[in-house]
Amino acid sequence: MLSVCSIDRFMANNLISGSVDASYAVSRSHGQLVLVFDYDAACKRTRLVSRESRPPLQVVRPFDLPDGGVLLHIQNVAGGVLGGDLLDVNITLNAGARVQLTTTGANRIYRPRETDGPAVQSTKLYVGAGSLLEYLPDPTIPFASARYRQTTNITLGDGAGLYWWEVLSPGRTAHGEVFAYEKLDIAASIDTEDGSPVVRERNVVRGQGAPLPPNPGGRTALGSSLGPYRYLATFYAMRVGASSIELLDAERSLTDLALELSVPGETVWGVSALSAHGLVVRGLSCRSRTLNASLIAFWRHAKRLLHNEDIVIPRKVW
Amino acid sequence: MSQSPILSLLQLADSQTPIGGAAHSFGLEGLVSDQDLTVDDLQGFLIGYLEEAGRLEAIFCRRAYDLASSPDDSFAPDWVRLNREVSAWKPARESRVASATLGRRFLRLAMGLSDEARLHAADAAAREAGCDIHQSTAFGLVGSVLGWGIDDTTLACLQQNVAALVSAAQRLLPLGQTRAARLIWDLQEVIAGAACAGWETACFTPWLEVASMRHPALTTRLFIS
Repeated sequence: MLSVCSIDRFMANNLISGSVDASYAVSRSHGQLVLVFDYDAACKRTRLVSRESRPPLQVVRPFDLPDGGVLLHIQNVAGGVLGGDLLDVNITLNAGARVQLTTTGANRIYRPRETDGPAVQSTKLYVGAGSLLEYLPDPTIPFASARYRQTTNITLGDGAGLYWWEVLSPGRTAHGEVFAYEKLDIAASIDTEDGSPVVRERNVVRGQGAPLPPNPGGRTALGSSLGPYRYLATFYAMRVGASSIELLDAERSLTDLALELSVPGETVWGVSALSAHGLVVRGLSCRSRTLNASLIAFWRHAKRLLHNEDIVIPRKVW
Repeated sequence: MSQSPILSLLQLADSQTPIGGAAHSFGLEGLVSDQDLTVDDLQGFLIGYLEEAGRLEAIFCRRAYDLASSPDDSFAPDWVRLNREVSAWKPARESRVASATLGRRFLRLAMGLSDEARLHAADAAAREAGCDIHQSTAFGLVGSVLGWGIDDTTLACLQQNVAALVSAAQRLLPLGQTRAARLIWDLQEVIAGAACAGWETACFTPWLEVASMRHPALTTRLFIS
């Protein structure tokens, strides 16, 4: 993974050699958000004990949840990600903390200037022993010609729980922008604290904003990946230490829900146990309308199965 | 006469190799069942598959090939880690289990035919760690141990994958033998491109993954995956 430091080094070296437009380096934002949560055993509550932020990223304040956890809304005050932006999010949940994170709006990836480098968002999440993170961001909407790289690296301690979804839209469909972005490079990893890889994902997607020869067979390369669908939703439900029998039972139960919510040709959902510690739910849809309600249904069902708890819907306008 | 690498390659890369490959469709049956895939779509679908999943399998095949010549003390942990990484890249359980079943059977078949110590070490390390052995990594390891070239090994691995998918398609769709042979023949350039596309891991195949995830719920199935 290219770290922010190495990007800065790359920029510095190339500015010296004159191969990067100086206006790009000057105008880009380097936003940062660092949050640390502890569990206060005396009060049986999670506390935000450290917060550092640099625009355009910020959080307002933590809201207490009935289960002793806290809810935070991550906000990008620029309204979206601009070409060349570097956004760094680093969140630590120490042992026992319970945190729900969401965003205040869609992750809009704006059309960059020609001289802009790709926008880069790097998120590192540490979920300590026995803690629980529910990370429920709004969809990513890449505008026409957008170039965007996103990495999400999650480390889970013993007994840690994670509920995380992501939705990738084809673009500003109301403006007629469908797969009009140039390139998306969206990677994710989930590891346990002992370094065992549990999830690896990296989707490098070239939209129609990039020159793309059609396949001889008729479908575009993107069509081979998404079929007749436009929206991609992914949801991870995890509890480190869950047995393979529990995971297979949960897979069967969530598959019943997936079948109920699927209408082939319009929306299809699939559920699978991962090699260890959790499940993945994937959805493909022609429309965005029902995705959020379906994701909430999967979250509710999965949390009952893995944690024997009800969900608390975040306070926000969906 | 000493053992010939080309003969062992031809034998083990053959679609008739008795490891059970014919029992798996790797999600293809789900796509056909949802009426999302027709014979006319196959070539485009397979090109997309090779450029994404094929490219990733090729990287793991090459990494396993290189691992075969690593020192004894680092081989076992690196082999286990590599196979765990492959598992992490495969979200759909049935396809992951299919890859692991075929990989273990392929390695054990090779162990039965050759007494190379590294093959036995790979099997023992995976058994001890309780981890899978995937098809691409087993193929890379066996290719290296039996003296196949790295490019030939990777090409044969991908060709075997594509042949298995086309064979599955023949049983799912009105696809005749001549057209199937033509399909595989015409993919040679794409297979070669995927086999040598570098080391950067990426794979974007959600359509096939969702089909594979939905496969266990089909009421009538021809294939295990």
